[in-house]
Amino acid sequence: MHLAAPGETVLELDRVSLCYRLAKQRLPSFKDYAIHWVKGTLVYEKFWALSEVSFSVARGEVVGIVGRNGAGKSSLLKVISRVLEPTTGSVRFDGRLAPILELGTGFDHELTGRENIFLNGMLLGRTRREIRERIDAIVDYSELGEFIESPIRAYSSGMLGRLGFSIASAWTPDLLILDEVFAAGDAAFTRKCEKTLSDFRDAGVTILLVSHSAPIVLETCTRALWLERGKLIADGKPEEVVAAYDKSTYETAG
Amino acid sequence: MAAVFPYWDLTWELVQRELRVRYRRSLIGFAWTMLQPMLMMGVLHIAFSTIFRFNVDNYPVYVLAGLLFWNFFSQSIVTSMNSLRANGGLIQKLPVPKSVFPLAVVISGVINLLLALLPLLGLLVVTGHPLRLSMLFLPVSIAIAALFTLGAGLLLAPLAVFFHDIVELIGVILQIVLFLTPIMYPMAIVPERWHWIIRFNPVRSILEVFRDPIYYGKIPPASHLTVAALLAVALFALGAFAFSRTSRRITHYL
Repeated sequence: MHLAAPGETVLELDRVSLCYRLAKQRLPSFKDYAIHWVKGTLVYEKFWALSEVSFSVARGEVVGIVGRNGAGKSSLLKVISRVLEPTTGSVRFDGRLAPILELGTGFDHELTGRENIFLNGMLLGRTRREIRERIDAIVDYSELGEFIESPIRAYSSGMLGRLGFSIASAWTPDLLILDEVFAAGDAAFTRKCEKTLSDFRDAGVTILLVSHSAPIVLETCTRALWLERGKLIADGKPEEVVAAYDKSTYETAG
Repeated sequence: MAAVFPYWDLTWELVQRELRVRYRRSLIGFAWTMLQPMLMMGVLHIAFSTIFRFNVDNYPVYVLAGLLFWNFFSQSIVTSMNSLRANGGLIQKLPVPKSVFPLAVVISGVINLLLALLPLLGLLVVTGHPLRLSMLFLPVSIAIAALFTLGAGLLLAPLAVFFHDIVELIGVILQIVLFLTPIMYPMAIVPERWHWIIRFNPVRSILEVFRDPIYYGKIPPASHLTVAALLAVALFALGAFAFSRTSRRITHYL
């Protein structure tokens, strides 16, 4: 683990734009595509999920991202976690990334909890050895006890969430990316998650999170960004940004 | 492709999963891998020796060696093509290098091929075919075949994401290639004026490098070997290039 010095920029987005090229006609067949291509009638509708988004984040900042549905929040997180490449612009980040866009992505329901820890850990870019070193801690943290040896198709959704969070948070990353994943398990486990996140914050981990809940942004974030139709329209103190955002949603609704 | 190295453990895990899926549900799973080409061989043997009446020394060995190569080649291509869509959910959530999926398919294909060599060895013994030291050359032949197949898989897998029906189209093309490759018949029965088609078929070069050590008990001539190796390297380079060029767009289409 190599955390940058305090205050140093760890993440920098430079005029990042992301364009989804939505085919106006649905052409999942090669034949149709070829026909339209020959006729020159391929029509695309460009949808800019992000346009010219620039900001930089310093080490240790906890940045909350607010915005309406479809404003580009998830697209932004995907671009930062390198799931999607920006159409134009650049994302600069060096270090270990923990993208939690969804808990337990890639879980195999036929495998046991323990086997899924390996699979999921490897999907997060860990080696078998790294996982072996942490496996006991992960199992303890998940509080799944002997269920860890059962196939996870028998798990409740709360148990799956607990397992997913335990794996994702087993290593201290340089940058943690969270997309609305707080609801893992019961109240006690949720408190434990929050404790882990605040431990990360105290350790100087930079956190980016998307949340629809204004209280979470107000309580945990040191900075907030407001995205509207793919553009960054406000960047500042959480109280101010959330207040402006609330006001705008209230006006639109009213 | 270089992005795969840090994800080697994941690739191996996917290989194991691929093999488990194939063999878990049927008790005779492993046996089936060996039986299927044997049955096919039996059918072809009866058909070609009684109906078409051409003479090939020890036809069962000739055809089984060819079929093992063909099964590896064609099944790996079709499974590679489906691998990106099958893992679409993962690719949209985690920054996993997408080439791990076709790579895992080809590696598990190689393992299946190695298993299927066992009954071929049995057949060699039973039919009294001379067992020569040239068999020790097979690892090189298999490496060439694997590189060639991986190249084809990398080239075609992104296409299958953009156009769903291309998998069917490739199925038809593979059937045609099968008949244009001297697997079920010997070159001797092909009329002279059609020889050029088969000579230009790159799959034949790869096949012969695999079959020569088994059937003819000789190491392939240096000229054949060079052509096969160059074809494999060229197709792999083309596939890797095409894959890296299209991989950023794949995520949008899954």
